[in-house]
Amino acid sequence: MLVMKNVNKIFQTADIQTHALRDFSLTVNEGDFLSVTGPSGSGKTTFLNIAGLLETYTNGDFLLDGEDVGKLNDKGRSRMRNEKIGFIFQGFNLIPDLNLYDNVDVPLRYRGFNAKERKRRIIENLDRVGLASRLKHLPSQLSGGQQQRVAIARALATDPRFLLADEPTGNLDSEMAQGVMSLLEEINQQGTTIIMVTHDATLAKRARRQVQVKDGRVSELDLVNHRAIA
Amino acid sequence: MLETGLIFRALMRNKMGAILIALQIALTMAIMVNAIFMIQDRQQQMKRPSGIDENNTFYLTNTVFAQDHNFQAELQTDLNTLRKTPGIVDAIQINAIPLSGGGWSMSLQHEPGEDKDAIGSALYMVDEHGINTMGLNLIAGENFSQEDIQWRGQGQSTWPPKTIITKAFAAQLFPDDWQTAIGKTFYISQTQPMQIIGIVEALQAPWNGWDGVERSMLVPFQMESSSSYYFIRTEPGKRDKMMPIIEKVLAESNKGRIIRRITTVEDTRKRSYRQHNATNKILTTVVATLTLITSFGIVGLAIFSINRRTKQIGTRRALGATRWQIMRYFMVENFLISTVGVFIGSIGAIGLNMWLVSTFNLTPISFELILFGIVALLIVGQLAVLYPARKAALIAPATATRTI
Ligand SMILES: Nc1ncnc2c1ncn2[C@@H]1O[C@H](COP(=O)(O)OP(=O)(O)OP(=O)(O)O)[C@@H](O)[C@H]1O
Ligand SMILES: [Mg+2]
Repeated sequence: MLVMKNVNKIFQTADIQTHALRDFSLTVNEGDFLSVTGPSGSGKTTFLNIAGLLETYTNGDFLLDGEDVGKLNDKGRSRMRNEKIGFIFQGFNLIPDLNLYDNVDVPLRYRGFNAKERKRRIIENLDRVGLASRLKHLPSQLSGGQQQRVAIARALATDPRFLLADEPTGNLDSEMAQGVMSLLEEINQQGTTIIMVTHDATLAKRARRQVQVKDGRVSELDLVNHRAIA
Repeated sequence: MLETGLIFRALMRNKMGAILIALQIALTMAIMVNAIFMIQDRQQQMKRPSGIDENNTFYLTNTVFAQDHNFQAELQTDLNTLRKTPGIVDAIQINAIPLSGGGWSMSLQHEPGEDKDAIGSALYMVDEHGINTMGLNLIAGENFSQEDIQWRGQGQSTWPPKTIITKAFAAQLFPDDWQTAIGKTFYISQTQPMQIIGIVEALQAPWNGWDGVERSMLVPFQMESSSSYYFIRTEPGKRDKMMPIIEKVLAESNKGRIIRRITTVEDTRKRSYRQHNATNKILTTVVATLTLITSFGIVGLAIFSINRRTKQIGTRRALGATRWQIMRYFMVENFLISTVGVFIGSIGAIGLNMWLVSTFNLTPISFELILFGIVALLIVGQLAVLYPARKAALIAPATATRTI
């Protein structure tokens, strides 16, 4: 479970203060599939980064799996990211110099699994996204949709509780986007909690639960209301 | 868990920079090791004792220009004056100064006659005060007695029948046991017999670059010569005070000669090894500069590759890498590059040394020095990469989502 209560995030640069999140309160339950929409600059990525422990917040309360995130140091956050969170990025963020096998291996190395365990997880997860036959390929030899699948396999290899995705289909054509979305739904059905930021209203609607971020604040949309607005 | 395999495979996809740095490390190592070797070789040469009490001795040139000069009487007067002066331990007339660059050499041979094997040695003409004045250590046999001392006229070619030689010379004459040299007769100028009556521990020749620099002999001669050295030993700590006094005393005691070039043995040693010191300084500068340039190369390559991989590093952090794991990535990467570098460097160092050995007649390099070079460059590499690696470790995890 992920619980944020009155979380604020203020970016302080030389002369401007940006209030990216204002009293942001949200609870995400185990097994949820949450889509996050909102205008550009509203704070979606900021929320996702804080939720995924990539960024710290200015004040407020944030519990992840019952643990007070505010009390963790950098090393503690790193470990928690590795153990509980999987990331999917708009730009896939695969390591261009490593083949698929080695890419999926990266977070497993940080976890410290032994070679046998790593191999099992790599094969299993690349198989899950349908790419087990291309272990030796480099990311550049794959299509965007395939690359994002590899990124999903990498995110899942550590068995995370939460899968966080920032515009996972932003760089894909609609056909590939559909494929990735189906894959995410399948993963969610197998028990992984998913938070997905997207600009695509149709994809957002396919999520079990939708929230909208505006001006650093979150508002819940139930399906009926959302339709009315749309 | 070390990700050496992954680092290596990633490195193999960006070989060019790594190869160049590895070659730079190799070149640095090859030159460094050989330069240090040459420096050490010179330092060892400079450390060899001359056998003389260097701190408390000095010498001067006594040049006579008066026509009706009584060499024998004047020399005795001078030496008596010197030896009686308070603060002076002893004084002699001598034909050459160790390490000064100029002197005499003669050869001794086991048997008389031409075409017999002879061993060269520096030759110093002294009286029975020679050992005491120079501060030599007589380790076997005995000193000359007053009766042994002969006068040597200008251009005379006969030799006295006794000599005292250095241990190194004795060891060369008797490789099995240098002590057996005592009492033995050798031949100088091919046919003139000369008996070894004493052995001193050390006394260097005037030429520091000669491979026989440790071979010297004392012969009991006083010279009837218009120009010779007076070699003087003072009580400890009084040398600098006594030098002007002695100069004045001698100059005033006899108007028919001049006293020139009053010099300490210490200065003579310094001058003798000036070339050595200069060369060592140049070599040290070369090694330091090369090491510095290589460090800059390592820093430059690391910063370049870190800047290129900012997003990747952010992604790694997002996937759970700690700061230390990021730092370690670049340290391991550097270690891999450096290892290739020092491996090639070791081969290069040995190759360069083999060439130096055959061209300049140096001794082969020691394994320890190669090992030192390997360790030193691996450490230099790790130190150089520390700052870039630290920079990489501080890249924010949010870079993963915030950059395209
Ligand atoms: N590192 C930063 N320093 C200063 N301001 C920042 C920083 N990161 C984000 N912001 C600001 O915080 C606000 C929220 O940004 P955020 O990236 O969360 O928006 P977003 O909803 O993800 O937008 P988009 O849909 O364009 O991705 C913006 O005004 C942005 O300019
Ligand atoms: Mg965003």
